[in-house]
Order: sequence, then structure tokens, then C-alpha cells
Amino acid sequence: MNNVWGSMAQYDVINWPWPIAVYLFLAGASAGSIIIALLVKWNRHDKEVATIWDAMVKAGALISPLTIIIGLILLILDLGKPLSFYWLLISYNFESVMTLGVIALFLYTPLSLVFTALIFEDVIKKNALLSMLYPVVSYIKSYSKYAKKIEYVLFFLALIVGAYTGFLLSANMSIPMWNSPILPILFLASGISAGIAGNILVGMLFFKSSINKESIKYLLMLDLRVIMLEIPLLLLLFVGMFYAGGAAKVSAIQALSVGNWALVFWVGVIAVGLVSPVVIALTALKNHDYKVKFILFNSVVVLIGVILLRFYIVYAGQIFTGAL
Amino acid sequence: MKKKFRMIHDENLCIGCQACSVACRSENDVPDNVFRMQVQIETKGVFPDLKMDMQRHSCVMCEDAPCVTVCPTGASFQTKDGLVQIDHRLCVSCKYCVVACPYDARFMNPITKNIEKCTFCYSNRVSKGLEPACVTVCPTDALVFGDISDMTSEVYKKAKECNLLYPKANLGTKPKVAFVPNKKGVSYE
Ligand code: SF4
Ligand code: SF4
Repeated sequence: MNNVWGSMAQYDVINWPWPIAVYLFLAGASAGSIIIALLVKWNRHDKEVATIWDAMVKAGALISPLTIIIGLILLILDLGKPLSFYWLLISYNFESVMTLGVIALFLYTPLSLVFTALIFEDVIKKNALLSMLYPVVSYIKSYSKYAKKIEYVLFFLALIVGAYTGFLLSANMSIPMWNSPILPILFLASGISAGIAGNILVGMLFFKSSINKESIKYLLMLDLRVIMLEIPLLLLLFVGMFYAGGAAKVSAIQALSVGNWALVFWVGVIAVGLVSPVVIALTALKNHDYKVKFILFNSVVVLIGVILLRFYIVYAGQIFTGAL
Repeated sequence: MKKKFRMIHDENLCIGCQACSVACRSENDVPDNVFRMQVQIETKGVFPDLKMDMQRHSCVMCEDAPCVTVCPTGASFQTKDGLVQIDHRLCVSCKYCVVACPYDARFMNPITKNIEKCTFCYSNRVSKGLEPACVTVCPTDALVFGDISDMTSEVYKKAKECNLLYPKANLGTKPKVAFVPNKKGVSYE
């Protein structure tokens, strides 16, 4: 548009800036890490033996509440009116994906904290400061016969938290890159990938003594499958935009070819985040080797890829709307 | 009785003087560098075969309004007449509506941090039986506003005699602001 009277500044604003991208990453990682922790707990330890609290479960119990709480703080601070955030909790619109997300988070966040409290029961008991909380923990424990059911609920909520961030964006018809049914699946998959990487990283760094090599191998295999799934999902996202034609097609072409965001996509998301873990898996970690350095390196590149994917989708989506 | 408000912008009568935009600013206290509405002027064609299109850029009061659907608190809502309004008390300025609006109609007021857009001057004028500020000042009567179910209204007559188009009609948002496309200048069709 040319020759406009007045200012065009308000139309170029990135309305959802970096805190949203970081939140989307943290929510995905939180959901992914608890999903993985629960999977390990259920599948890897059928018998209730001492190793049940192995490093992966502890890592998940630590990462999940921490990331979601930091994410929620960012989300609130990014509001134009942070102090009025309480309206989100008392005034609902059930048609809005954001409302559904708020409700899911409202249940998920405390429940993930309960999970943490139970996993770290001993630590809380022994620690001078935390032991003040012990009565709460033991109260929760009195419901332990429901533990398994609560774990199922938590797992289910984590799936919702992992996917709703995708729905949150896809509900926007004005932004072609977001307005796609692929986004929720893509975000859930990459969140699970981040959960695996995060759990391995934290588990190896902080809970070495209880590391269970079998768990790690199981997870690395799982991660490889998730990554292999992400690649066709990304392909589908762009192919879908391409065939939608019009603004969506323009948006897809620009987002894949123009400027720094195209670079972020090809180098950050694709090469670093998706291709390099596959290469590592096929070379250094082949035959299910247990090479600590490579496993850690692998986790770091996966996490970088997942963060950059969120940044890319949030920014490129808002910048390349395909408007002529 | 429920009113069916419509606004029509006749691009043939519009001269791009921006009196509407200025009237809107002073009526609604709009801060510098942001706009509830403006007329965007697009020059088309190759010299000397040129034409200028004047396009009103504002909230078009969708009947199926994406901004209302996404709003988590119900701060964006429709009045019984179907006009989309914002309750600033409920609004947390999450900007979900700003990204969801396909017409780029919403923005955050840099001073109050409230989300704003064209309201058809509903609370300050229309609900008192007056016309929106932009309509009253238009020197060429390019803007017509009123209740289209009232057969004596200007807007009813205008709608009858002109071929109306709706912005981004393909989106199915059913706007209440229509335009009469520019026929002056060069034609490429
Ligand atoms: S034009 Fe935008 S702000 Fe106005 S009603 Fe439609 S979606 Fe809402
Ligand atoms: S910014 Fe306000 S009006 Fe817009 S969606 Fe959020 S709460 Fe609703």
C-alpha cells in the first residue's frame, strides 16, 4: 500500500513477541517431560522396585512444574495489563482456545507440583526448609491409593497442554502459517522431543547415581521416532499452505525464502534441530552405544531446534501474512 | 426493535481528505500514531494510466467476529444490535483478538494499554441517536450510516441504488461495513 495518510506503524507490530515464543516452548517442554517421565515410570518399571525413581522420572518431576510456572509468569507479564490477569480465571468464554488452555493449565500446574512433591518426598522430609511442607506431602500421600489414577489424569492433561498451544495459534484465520490443523500435532511432537532431551540432560547432570541406561536407550529410540515424525509434519504444513493458494501460498514462499527467518528455519530448525540428531543417532550412537558426551550434545541440539521452531512459527507467521 | 446498522463507504465519492480520520481521533481520544480508522490511498496502474483507490480501513463489525470467538474473558462481545464492542474492565490485553482480526482493525492504545478499534461511536454517539463522527464530517457524503431495516433511512436507499461489496467476503465474517468500488480512473478488467 502506498500514499497512505497518517502512520502505518500499528500494522507492523509483532503483537505476540518473544515471551509468547518462549512460553510455547516451555509449555511444550513441560508437557513433554512429564509425559516421558510417566511413560518411563509405567513401562520401564513394572515391578515396584527401588529403581522406580530413576533419573528420568526425577528429571521430569523437576522440569515439568518449573518450566510451566516460568512460562506462565512470562505469559502474564506479556499482557498489556498484567495486573488484571485474574479475569482470565473468573470470566470464561468456552469458545476461546485460550480459555480452554487456562482451564487445562489450572488443573495441570498444581497436579504437576503434587507429582514432584511425591517423587521428592524424601528430599522434602530431610531438607531444613522444605520439611515445613512435609505435612502437605503426607496429606497428599494419604490418597496414594489413587496415585495411578492421578497419574493418568496428569498424563492426559499434559497431552492437552502440549497440543493446545498449537490450537491457540491455529484458531487464527488471519495468519496462514498458524491457521493449520498440523500445528497442534507438530507442537505436541516437538514438545515431547524437548521433554526427552530435557529429561536426559537434567537426569545425567543431576541424578547420575540413579541413571538407568536402559531408560536412556529407550528414550533415545523414542526421540528418533518423534523427530522422524516432525519432518513430514513440517513438510505437510508448508505443502498445505502452498495448495491453499492466495495469501497462504505467498506466505509460505516468503517464510521459506526471505531474510533471517528463512535462515532460522533452514539452519536452526531443520539442520540443527532435526537433521543433526538423526545424524548423531546413525553415527556416534549407533548400536545403542552409551556415549555420555554425545548423548548430552544430542539433547542440546534437540532443545535448540525446538526453541527455534517456536520462534520461527511465532515471528514468521506474523511477519509473512501473505498480504499484498 | 433490534437495529441492523450498516455503514457504506462509496469509494467513488471519497476524495481521500481524511476528515473522517481526524474526526475519529478527536471524538474518541485516539493517541498519536495509532488509528481506529483511516482511508488508505492506493495508486494503481502505470503512468499515465493511473487510478487512485480510496479504501476505508477500520473494524467492519463482523457478524461472525473472530475477535469475539477468541477472546478468553468475553471482553470482546456483541451488543444486541450485533455491534462488536470491548469491555475494558474485562480485557487483559492478551492481544489474541488483535492477531485474530483479519482486517487489522485492532491495536493496543500505547497510553492506556487497552485494546481499541472502531466502535461505530456506539456508546458516545450512536446509542444517543447520533451518527458516528466520521459520517457527520464527510464533505462528499461518501459515508452513509444507519439502520438498514428502516426503509426511510439513507443507508437503505444507498444500498438499493448501489452495488455493494464486502471486504474479504471470502472469509465469511459477514461485515456490516460495505463499500462501493471505485469506477473512476483507468480500468484493467
Ligand atoms: S473487523 Fe476485526 S475487530 Fe472488527 S469485528 Fe471483525 S474481527 Fe472483530
Ligand atoms: S486483548 Fe482483551 S479483548 Fe482482546 S482477546 Fe484479549 S482479553 Fe479479549
